[in-house]
Amino acid sequence: MSTRDVIIIGSGPAGLGVAAALVRAGVSDILVLERETEIGGIPRHTHHPSFGLLVFKRPMTGPAYIARLRARCKGVEFRTGVTATAVDGDRLSIATPEGPQTLRARHIVLATGARETPRHPRLVTGLRPMGIMTTGALQQFIYTGGMKPFSRPMIIGTELVSFSALWTLRHAGIKPVAMIEPSARVTAYRPATLFARLLGVPIHYRASVTDIAGRDTLTHIEIDSPAGRRKIDCDGVIFSGCFTGDNNLARGSGLALSPDTHIPLVDQNWLGADPRHSVVGNTTHPADMGDQCYQEALVAGAYIAKLLQSGPPQGEPLPIRHGNGIKMTTPNMLRPDEQARAFSLNLHVTRAWSGDISVTQGDKTLYRKRHSCLPARRITLKGIRFDTQSTAPLQVSLG
Amino acid sequence: MPQKPVPNFDVIVIGGGVVGCAVMRRFALNGAKALLLERGEDILSGASKANSAILHTGFDAPPGSTEVACMQAGYAEYLEMHAALNLPVLETGALVVAWNDEQRAALDGIIAKAHENGVGDVQLVERDALRRAEPHLADSAIAAVSVPREFVIDPWSSPLAYLRQAVAAGAQYRFNAEVTGGEFDGKMWRLRTGQGEFNGRIVINCSGAQGDIVQGICTPPTFEIRPRKGQFLVYDKSASDLINAIILPVPTPTTKGVVLTKTIFGNLLLGPTAEEQDDRENATVDHDMLQGLIDTGTAMLPDLSDHPVTATYAGLRPATQFKDYQIKAEAGKNWIGVNGIRSTGLTAALGIAAYVEQLCAEHFTSFGPPVAPGFPTMPNLAQHLPRASQTGDGTEILCHCESVTRGDVERALTAEVPARSLGGLRRRTRVMMGRCNGFYCSARVAELTKGKLDRPLDGGDQT
Repeated sequence: MSTRDVIIIGSGPAGLGVAAALVRAGVSDILVLERETEIGGIPRHTHHPSFGLLVFKRPMTGPAYIARLRARCKGVEFRTGVTATAVDGDRLSIATPEGPQTLRARHIVLATGARETPRHPRLVTGLRPMGIMTTGALQQFIYTGGMKPFSRPMIIGTELVSFSALWTLRHAGIKPVAMIEPSARVTAYRPATLFARLLGVPIHYRASVTDIAGRDTLTHIEIDSPAGRRKIDCDGVIFSGCFTGDNNLARGSGLALSPDTHIPLVDQNWLGADPRHSVVGNTTHPADMGDQCYQEALVAGAYIAKLLQSGPPQGEPLPIRHGNGIKMTTPNMLRPDEQARAFSLNLHVTRAWSGDISVTQGDKTLYRKRHSCLPARRITLKGIRFDTQSTAPLQVSLG
Repeated sequence: MPQKPVPNFDVIVIGGGVVGCAVMRRFALNGAKALLLERGEDILSGASKANSAILHTGFDAPPGSTEVACMQAGYAEYLEMHAALNLPVLETGALVVAWNDEQRAALDGIIAKAHENGVGDVQLVERDALRRAEPHLADSAIAAVSVPREFVIDPWSSPLAYLRQAVAAGAQYRFNAEVTGGEFDGKMWRLRTGQGEFNGRIVINCSGAQGDIVQGICTPPTFEIRPRKGQFLVYDKSASDLINAIILPVPTPTTKGVVLTKTIFGNLLLGPTAEEQDDRENATVDHDMLQGLIDTGTAMLPDLSDHPVTATYAGLRPATQFKDYQIKAEAGKNWIGVNGIRSTGLTAALGIAAYVEQLCAEHFTSFGPPVAPGFPTMPNLAQHLPRASQTGDGTEILCHCESVTRGDVERALTAEVPARSLGGLRRRTRVMMGRCNGFYCSARVAELTKGKLDRPLDGGDQT
């Protein structure tokens, strides 16, 4: 069995970013695996212009964006329709149409992405008719399948992706009956509500779904809001957002996970607990924009290229722990690194927070700055300087 | 215009649940010309689609009951023939766990009852041994009774295999064929259905939650169906290693309580609740009840809180006011009622089928000569045995959560007794049954099934 330089699992913006950076650094033996029949990840089925602003300074549709990113991966081998089933050190098991195979690489990158939380894990009351799906499924029905699964759906959630669902429906000439938000304001940026208003789609705040009715086909849902309980006729429900990292490969392979979030351990250079692995993109921070994943992956890929020359980093990693109100941080561990004494940290909050965010190590405060934070979006703490000699864990806290 | 003649059958089975499928198999293999009438879009549209999928020894069933006799006969026949049909068995064993002193005191009675039911290999497991066997159970688990031969099976492939064996022996089936009425002329039943009329010498009522209504076509029912709802939670595959055996509670007089079990598909199942309700059609899941179930499960297995929920579902068990099954031949009416088959129906189905055949021979007639049985090879859906996605069937994986290939789906749409509904396709392949609830694959499933399902995934009526 020959050993590849790098195998990348996942061909979304993160996977393509790592590949592009490796190509740029002169690494030539790169294999990208994609379990779907086409590369691209989420952008593959997002046909409206929500990509490219940061990377190409202009809005692009998902497929156009992916085509541009792929063009930067000259000489990279892509295999589609194959599924990574287990990572073990430098070995990777894959399932292919021809049966199982084992591959080997000096470095393995997990860029497995994120998905929305669908109906069942939300424990929603009701029956189980057809017509209930996530935004991701909706986009595939409408954009890649040319199908219309319903004509009067309800959108649950007001994250950015919820408005992406609105956009997708508009493309198919479908007008949703309403959007439902559990809190008192939209989770996405406020101007997004203008888009809903322009389309004549009401947003119900402080509202939750209390029943899904219809045995085979959906007849209506019941919502509970300050206005009381009421039935709303609809023939579809789109559960949007509440992203979760697709970490099943990491978890199933027994890779080290953060004990509280179950996200794979990842250091400030996107290396995993085993320094032969990197974990990049939305799998560790569900879910930032595609552009952000790509930009992060460029840095991660350049670091991998350096490692292939210099060998793995030395030193024991330190955990980065976080307090209440924080959903996760990336990185979630730190490797002492003499060359880089500063790092950036990406965090998501579980509830709105305006005030200080601090990073401490032992009794030293490494970072303290005021931030205005809303859930479901990236908050970046830049330039956190740390003591490479200390062995104390880091703590990230609100307040 | 000449009227189409009404087709004649030896036996008409009403209801394509696990019991109806097993009864079909029995009569078809014994040479009867048999017809299955199912009101749903597929077999297993009622009570049989939602159960805990355990193959029970009958250790805690009422001694001397029809139920325990059918369970034990069904258990034995299942183990005898499962391999020939490529039906999986996961030999987990079960532990009836006591969580307090009162339950601890009941364990001796459980052992005595098991012995009375002929299940001799049960054993008391004290605290330390229990801890070694099930290290993830909460410390409050103080002792258990081990029942080594309680196993986990595939609750959907098994009845499908029974029906496919029947069809291979010449039997027929009709879906969307609700029986709305019928008359008996002293020799032959004529049944009216949503798919026209059918004549049958013998009618066997296996209609589950509709049991008393259908029974009324023949005779005023001596029982009433009191639907009991059970809600379940399916945890992600990552949780299935938290237990080794099926974790059963010490039963109370009213309920068997909440069970923790691996599924044959590699998940962990928690449930059921037990809720009486009047509605015999609809089983809703309920947020608060599910949350309560999670609390119950986490109290038994604290590490459960580290694992995501994949699915929630609810089923209706066709209980009656009686504890035992209500299986009875109606003298002079060529009708056998098979009713009140509660949660043990999956285990007992093959035993019930043999018992019904015997009743039929005693009261009405027997059939023959037997047909040499065919053994369709069922596609394996069990996690612990090779799947098509692992061996390679020339197609890519379509459903990533449940490792279902495009070939798996295509075969389920063309095999004998093909899937004609999304539910039927899901039960035959596991497609869209995983943690993402169809985020990745539902649109591709919609495309692959275009024109092949009675109700298409893409709504179909919009252009």
